[in-house]
Amino acid sequence: MNDIVIETRNLTKYFGKTLALDHLNLQVPRGCIYGLLGRNGAGKTTAIKLMLGLLRPTTGTATVLGCDCQNLTPQIRQRIGYVTEGHRLYRWMKIGELAKFQQAFFPGSWDDKLFNDMLDYFELSKKQKIKTLSNGERAQVSLAITLAPNPELLIMDDPTLGLDTAIRRQFLEGMTEHIERQGRTILFSSHILSDVERVAERIAVIDRGVLRADCKLEEFRAAVKKVRFNFAEAVPGQVDIPGLLHSRQNEKELELTLIGTTVEQIDTWAKSAGATYHKDIDMNLEDQFIEFTAPDTNRSLFQWEEIK
Amino acid sequence: MALWIQISPGSNEPIYAQIVAQVGRAIATGQVSIGDKLPAVRTLAGELVVNPNTVARAYSILEQQRLVNTKTGSGTYVADPKLRHADAGRLNILTERIDNIITQALNIGLSEHDITRTFEDRLRKFGTKPDGGKRKK
Repeated sequence: MNDIVIETRNLTKYFGKTLALDHLNLQVPRGCIYGLLGRNGAGKTTAIKLMLGLLRPTTGTATVLGCDCQNLTPQIRQRIGYVTEGHRLYRWMKIGELAKFQQAFFPGSWDDKLFNDMLDYFELSKKQKIKTLSNGERAQVSLAITLAPNPELLIMDDPTLGLDTAIRRQFLEGMTEHIERQGRTILFSSHILSDVERVAERIAVIDRGVLRADCKLEEFRAAVKKVRFNFAEAVPGQVDIPGLLHSRQNEKELELTLIGTTVEQIDTWAKSAGATYHKDIDMNLEDQFIEFTAPDTNRSLFQWEEIK
Repeated sequence: MALWIQISPGSNEPIYAQIVAQVGRAIATGQVSIGDKLPAVRTLAGELVVNPNTVARAYSILEQQRLVNTKTGSGTYVADPKLRHADAGRLNILTERIDNIITQALNIGLSEHDITRTFEDRLRKFGTKPDGGKRKK
């Protein structure tokens, strides 16, 4: 199955005069884990809330599971699981009561065995009150009640924010187990790039309300690179190389961060600029993300990449 | 079969490449033998807590390198080295890499003798014999 589960077209949201999301066009294909990245305030939560019909777009549209987001029917909502940022749950309920309450929204699809197994695994009891739980335990309950209906589309807004390593790992395990069921799709936002790297197949980068990248994770990994050039004399004043994100220099060295530039283009440029020597500088995903979203950059990574 | 794979996200090397390198090394050092079955994609993905597609990609690269065979519906097995004939392209890449290493070694002042000894020492770690390169069993 190669269809699109979420599609936004020019999705735009103003809060008063503040532009939170600027003509977002993205597509989430079925069957993948899709990581939504961006710095604080970039517009990730706004995008998610618009997709779920919890906010009204200023202009533009979005469809989820083939249905317009502003008119999501209860039947469509039953196929979507949503984990809110901060795992807000009804504090006065017991875990068992919350499960019963949640179950009512997912008639026919609630897997009570899965729910109980997860509670056992987390060493939680249905008798415990939500308000007595720690942050981590509340997150575990939130994960269990979201996965129990076996949602076709799982949307998680920064699910591992503030959680310890062990509970974060449980979330990642939950995600990889869920995606192995046929036709399931997960969209999640996160700041923890090592988590994203483990589980995400595709990523989108939103930067100040604008979509800057929408591609496979490994394409992003391969595209953003840093090269250091050495010069015998002075560093050239003008740097005319395809895909330049930004440059840094001292007397005889020039360090360029590039996107989508081929090895041949780099070699050609080095020769024409008279560099004596150049070498790639290692970058991990975090380095790449920081360089890609640095304030002086605006190049994007999707116009040269084919979206299936 | 002892196949221990340890991945580290946040490293400079993509996760699929880490898996390829470690399985490749396990095969080269004889930690796994011809005909051994690799863990199923889903099993390994579950153990490493990574996207199953990442493991699938690593396995398909290993297959392209002819280090493993995939039998449909059965699994992925370590291939017979006699069938892993090195093609010219891969040999060229390897020669280039060795040249780079020799350049670096000479630049830090190692003699030809030092370089040869270092290579021999490292080779021994992989369980090869000095003469024909046959693996000790």
